[in-house]
Amino acid sequence: MSLLSKWIGLLGVASLWLGLTGCNLEQDIDVELPSYSAELAVECYLEAGKRPSLTVTTTVPYLGAVVPQLPSNVTVRLTLPNGTVVPLAFQPNYQALTDTVSGIKFYTHIGRDTLVARAGDVFKLEVSDTQGRRVTGTTTMLAPIPIDSVEYKFNDKSGSERKAYFLTSFLDPPTPNDCYRLQLHRGDPAKGALLKRPETDNSFEDRLLNGQRFVLGTSYRFSKGDTVTATLYHTDAAFYRFRQSVRDARNANGNPFAQPSAIFSNVQGGVGIFSVLSPTRATRIIR
Amino acid sequence: MLPSSAARYFLLLLFIGLGWPHLAWSQQASRFTISGTVRGPRGETLPGASVAVPALNTGTAADSLGRFSLALPAGRHQLAVAFIGYQSLTRDINLTRDQRLSFALEESNNELDEVVVEGTATLQEKLKTTQMGVERLTIREAKLLPALFGEVDILKTLQLKPGIQSGGEGTSGLFVRGGSSDQNLVLLDNTLVYNPTHLFGLFSVFNSDAVQSVDLYKSGFPAEFGGRLSSVVDVKLREGDRQNYVATGGVGLISSRLTYEGPINKGKGSFIVSGRRTYFDVFTRAINEANKNKEDYSPIPDYYFYDFNAKANYSLSDKDHLFLTGYLGRDTFGFNSAGGFNFDFSWGNTVGSLRWNHVFSPKLFSNTSVSVSDYKYDLTNKLDQFSFGLGSRITDYSARTDFEYTPNDRHVMKAGAQLTQHKFGVGRLDANSGDGRINFGSDINYFGLDGALYASDNYKASDKLQLEGGLRLSGFRSGSNQYGGIEPRASGRYSINDRTSLKASYAMMYQYVHLVTNSGASLPTDIWYPSRLSVKPQRSQQLSSGASFLLGKGDYLLTNEVYYKWGQNQVDFRDGAQLFVNPELDAEFIFGKSWSYGNELYLEKKTGKTTGWIGYTLAWSWRNFQPQRGTNGINNGRDFHPNYDRRHNLTVVVLHQLNARINLTASFIYTSGNLTTLPLGRFGVQDIPGSSVGIDPRPVPIYPDRNSYRLIPYHRLDLGAVYKIGTQRNQDLTLSIYNAYNRRNAYFVFFDTVRDRPSGRTTGFQARQASLFPIIPSLTYNFRF
Repeated sequence: MSLLSKWIGLLGVASLWLGLTGCNLEQDIDVELPSYSAELAVECYLEAGKRPSLTVTTTVPYLGAVVPQLPSNVTVRLTLPNGTVVPLAFQPNYQALTDTVSGIKFYTHIGRDTLVARAGDVFKLEVSDTQGRRVTGTTTMLAPIPIDSVEYKFNDKSGSERKAYFLTSFLDPPTPNDCYRLQLHRGDPAKGALLKRPETDNSFEDRLLNGQRFVLGTSYRFSKGDTVTATLYHTDAAFYRFRQSVRDARNANGNPFAQPSAIFSNVQGGVGIFSVLSPTRATRIIR
Repeated sequence: MLPSSAARYFLLLLFIGLGWPHLAWSQQASRFTISGTVRGPRGETLPGASVAVPALNTGTAADSLGRFSLALPAGRHQLAVAFIGYQSLTRDINLTRDQRLSFALEESNNELDEVVVEGTATLQEKLKTTQMGVERLTIREAKLLPALFGEVDILKTLQLKPGIQSGGEGTSGLFVRGGSSDQNLVLLDNTLVYNPTHLFGLFSVFNSDAVQSVDLYKSGFPAEFGGRLSSVVDVKLREGDRQNYVATGGVGLISSRLTYEGPINKGKGSFIVSGRRTYFDVFTRAINEANKNKEDYSPIPDYYFYDFNAKANYSLSDKDHLFLTGYLGRDTFGFNSAGGFNFDFSWGNTVGSLRWNHVFSPKLFSNTSVSVSDYKYDLTNKLDQFSFGLGSRITDYSARTDFEYTPNDRHVMKAGAQLTQHKFGVGRLDANSGDGRINFGSDINYFGLDGALYASDNYKASDKLQLEGGLRLSGFRSGSNQYGGIEPRASGRYSINDRTSLKASYAMMYQYVHLVTNSGASLPTDIWYPSRLSVKPQRSQQLSSGASFLLGKGDYLLTNEVYYKWGQNQVDFRDGAQLFVNPELDAEFIFGKSWSYGNELYLEKKTGKTTGWIGYTLAWSWRNFQPQRGTNGINNGRDFHPNYDRRHNLTVVVLHQLNARINLTASFIYTSGNLTTLPLGRFGVQDIPGSSVGIDPRPVPIYPDRNSYRLIPYHRLDLGAVYKIGTQRNQDLTLSIYNAYNRRNAYFVFFDTVRDRPSGRTTGFQARQASLFPIIPSLTYNFRF
């Protein structure tokens, strides 16, 4: 017994040592990274019926200054399907940088007129600055995919626990490699609900269900009186891959099991995305 | 039953068919063969036991089944049989015909021998064998060394040998001479184990109580092995006590073990069953229960693993023996939230084999076996009425037969054949709602047929020169895709004198199945994929040479080996590859080449109160993946190092017997840091309107070339002590102190966002290093009754 006591005592001392020294397993370190040359970063989502706008920034060394670099000497030209070249003026909406309510996105450049866009239309983008950097891109608007139906169903609980799930269904066309993004927003669209953070936001491909009906559901999360709007974007593969690569790149920082991903841009000469949104919407009030 | 003449005819055909160079295998008139088995006092076989005739300076070592065969001139000889931990035995024989002899060695009363892992005889054997690049580990050795959480782990012990590295802190994955962890052939009693680790690679699946020995081949692969490029890990289970019923076990920090073994039918056979289970979940459930009423408390998920080994053997006659082996292991991870979200994840191997050993004559015996190996994972999510399942499975059904023929003291010939049918369940996905409105399922399966023929001869040309040549013909078929390979193997040893030998070897290997993983670590969700369509078999070749020197009074062996290994059709995956449930998974592969080279210096001491080894490896590993298949390859086609490339690797292991009851051990490891990929730049992405409110503060990292940053060097000291208690010393307390000086080794490095505390505003970015294990003491109680 005395032997056991000695061993347990030894273990206790060792455990105390562990407790004193072993808890903090993260520490700041200095790393020496090679030099990094910045390039233009472009983010542009066109949408029919809205003024074309985009954000042009530059990439920066990871451990450099926090504030995004907004180059002011950038010229942006958008080529419409009919060949008309539309300049987008440098008019940053700085208020969006501090706006945490409305959901309006920040842009650096914006066009004067609303956009007319139909399925199959091809748009081109050219961004250049006085340092000789030039970013170009091309994108095609895809046909909107109709939402067949939106439904809800309540659980069998009562009171505040009575909740409904929401189903959205649509038919995938027989063409392969279609990509989608489905968002569900809660609230009145007329009051800007569609600009806010969605209840759900999922991207998916049709590779396992090509040409078949998609039925997408939620958990029991909606209450009586909620207005729910489903927005289904038919996205091009480039936009889908860009979002996946952004997600993978973010997840790889801090995850020892992840393989870092390159960013799949669809622009040349820099990084970023140039796409035309092709949404369809359906709204239902939970009663 | 195959008559011996038929077996010889089969061997003859095979050897002639392969153009065998050494056909002078008729028995020499004045030589006879003694053969048999070396066992311990409880009837257990003793692989590696030495059977020698010192006067003739000749001898052999018992194989993995404890069998030996030795051809000697007619006449009187004195045989010496030895195995460390057992009393040596000598026997005079008068050899006038072929003889079968079996030896039973008594356990040594000399406590020193229990510290000694292998002895002078073993060092002599290592000096003389043609086999290069092999590391033998007995479970006695593994049990003495300190271990993480006190869990004896044979794979982690192997990582202390030169040329064998871990993938990261605390993991059991093996990276051998520049090869990746999926290029190791891990065998349990000759049956493949697809995923040899528990808990995301932290512990191996092999229960130390059930394991007899482990051999790891790094080069000069014998022709009977094939199917993987880098190494063979040959694990043999114990056979059980043939005389008494014995219970052994242990209670440790994270798991407990229990083993029961005994004779069958009065010693005609024996059995052993052994189980192990962790009890993390017992503690986490108690913690969850204690905190269940706290509003902000998030329950800790349940996790545990268990494994179960069983083996039985039975001697039908002097010439026929049956062996039955089984393994079942599972990891289970579960989470049930009050909000209706349930998550269950389980994975594991199931292995079974039945082997028939038949002795045709003292010179010829065979092993014929059928086996099954299965690995699967199942992941299930349930949220309210919706369920989502994901899984994968690979199942092998195999049959093989192996012959070993010793016509005289100059030749040991082996030949055999094997056939395996694989079923690759590379992806299963299902999604359902309780009301049937959503009902989706997808299941992708492929079949493969894997076969091989082999023959080899170990030829003793003279006392100084010994050569081994082998040829393996392998083939694989999946659907309409067929592949084949000729795999020559050769090795040789030249003894300059009794204390110095030179060795060289060459081996070509093919690998027809590939691990689909996009991670630097081995994960349970990794899946195996056959060679098919654009995915061609991987191939590698290795040249190695070395010199061994027996030093001192024969109790030190210094070995130096250099190697160069090169491979084609090495696989990786394009960035952003869709690896789950993808019917066109072959399109996600990219292919490249590999090469690695290095020098391994190894000094071992096997006798005396203090034993151990020092190993130092200087090595380089390279990969090159050219632009292909619409990608830029890897690093735009430039050469790069895999993340486990380490320039320097030093290990020092010391075992010291303080007295009859106390053994002290220490192991120290120093290696260059792992390579990793750190982002160089960043930019911001806002996403489309309606995706978020405000600026998304999460930067998007821009990564440069893969594996361009080396982490700080890794070093660690582990200390251990074994104290034997009880009047019969059949119990012990084992203390392990992992990472004794609490080194903060880098597990990974990441860039953290620094925020102003009151406002939450981002003020900067900071590199941070995460470590996995601080100092971890553990105490384990072991018993044998």
